[in-house]
Amino acid sequence: MLNFLRRFIYQFKEYILFVLLVIISLSLLASNDKPEVKRIRTFALGNFAVVNSLLNYITDLFKSNPSYYQLKEENARLMLEINRLRKEGIENENLRTMLSIPDTIHYKLVAVDVVSKLVNRVQGNFILNKGLSDSIRVGMPVISSKGLVGLISDVTENFSVVKTLYNSSLNIAVTVQNINVDGVLSWNGHELIIKNIPTTYEINVGDKVETSDFSSLFPPNIPIGVISKKESLALGLLHTIFIEPYADIRSVSNLFILKVVPSKQINQLEMNLMK
Amino acid sequence: MLWNYLKPVLIFIPLAALQLVMVPLITVLDVAPNLILILIVYYTLIYGQIFGIILGFVLGLLFDLISGGMLGASALAFTVAAFIAGYFYSENKIDINTASLLFVIILFLCGFVNSFLYSSIMTDNPDVNFVNLILDIGILPGLYTAVLGLPIIIFKPKKGLI
Repeated sequence: MLNFLRRFIYQFKEYILFVLLVIISLSLLASNDKPEVKRIRTFALGNFAVVNSLLNYITDLFKSNPSYYQLKEENARLMLEINRLRKEGIENENLRTMLSIPDTIHYKLVAVDVVSKLVNRVQGNFILNKGLSDSIRVGMPVISSKGLVGLISDVTENFSVVKTLYNSSLNIAVTVQNINVDGVLSWNGHELIIKNIPTTYEINVGDKVETSDFSSLFPPNIPIGVISKKESLALGLLHTIFIEPYADIRSVSNLFILKVVPSKQINQLEMNLMK
Repeated sequence: MLWNYLKPVLIFIPLAALQLVMVPLITVLDVAPNLILILIVYYTLIYGQIFGIILGFVLGLLFDLISGGMLGASALAFTVAAFIAGYFYSENKIDINTASLLFVIILFLCGFVNSFLYSSIMTDNPDVNFVNLILDIGILPGLYTAVLGLPIIIFKPKKGLI
C-alpha cells in the first residue's frame, strides 16, 4: 500500500503539486479581508512602493516642475467650484442669500503623484505617494484636474492604493445633472455604464454626470463625465447609458485626494459592499 | 539548486518595479505586457514543469503583495501559466524552446491564459461579459507579452547570465 502510494505520488507529482498550489491560491483569495493578510499586504506594499517611487522619481526628472503642480491643484479646485456653480445657478444663489444659508462646502485637496499602476482591463489600481502620515484614509475620493478618478481603498504609512473608475468592483451612485436622474455607475471592462434608467426620462448625449447626493462614498457634485451614447434594452422600457469620463484615467500622473471622510458608520457599510 | 530558485527571485525585484512603473507607459488601451510571465515561462522551459509551477506561485504571490492587487490572484494565474508552459519542457530541446519562434508561441499561449484567468478572478461584477472581453483581456495581452519576448530569442542570453 505504501509502495503504491509512493509510486502514485512520484508518477503524478506535477499534478499533485499543481493542485496543491491552486488550492493554496484559492484559499488566499478567500482570506483577503482577514486582518493578518491585510497587515502582510500593507507591509509588503509600503516597502516595495519605495522601490517604485525611486524608479518613478527617475522618470519624473524629465517632467518635474513645481509651479506645474500648483497650477494643476488650482485647476482641480476651480473645476470643483465651476461644477458646483453650474448646478446651483444664479437663482439658487439668490435663494441661498434670501434664506441666509452660508456656503460651507470647501474640500481640502492633497496633491499626490502616481507611483505605480496595476494595468488590467477589469481591475484598475494605482499606488499614490501619500498615506497615513499625510492623514490619508480609506474612502477618500481621488480626483484629477478634470474630474473624479477613484477612491482610496488601502493605506500604508507613506503610500495608498486607489481603485479607479476602471475597476469593476467600484460602483458609484451618480446623477445626470440636467434632469436629476440617479443611477449606479460601474465599469463593465469596456466602458463606464449606468444601467436600468427608465426611458421616460429625457436623457441626451452630452449630458453631464456627477456624484449623487445619495452617495455616502463620495461627496455630491464631483464631475465624472458626459453621456457618450445610450442604448434601449429589448422591451424599450429601460436605458443603458455609456459615460465618457472627464479624467484621462489611463494617463494621469498627478492627482488630488479630497480630504473628505463620509459618515463613519455608513462608510463602513458601503466599504463592505465594495469588497 | 537553491541558487536556481534564488536567481529568478532576484531578477523579479527590478522586473516587478518595471512592470508597475514603466509598463503603464507603454500600454495601449489597458492592454499591457507581462514581464514577470516572460521570466516564469523562460525558467520553466529551462528547468521543467515542477520548477515552473513553484516559481510561478512564489513570484505571483510576491507580485500580489507589492502591487496592491488581490492576494492569490497572480499566484493562481502564474501557477496555471507555468503548468501549461511545463508541457513544452524537454531536456533535449531547451535551446530550441527558448531560442526559436516556439518560445514566442508558448509565451502567447501562457500570456493568454494568465491574463484571462487573472481578469476573471479579479472581478465579481455581473456586467463584465468575459466572452466579449476574450480579445481584450486574453488575446491582446498575450500577444503583447509574446512580442516583448522576442528580444530573448533575438539576443539569446549567455548561459549563467540569467
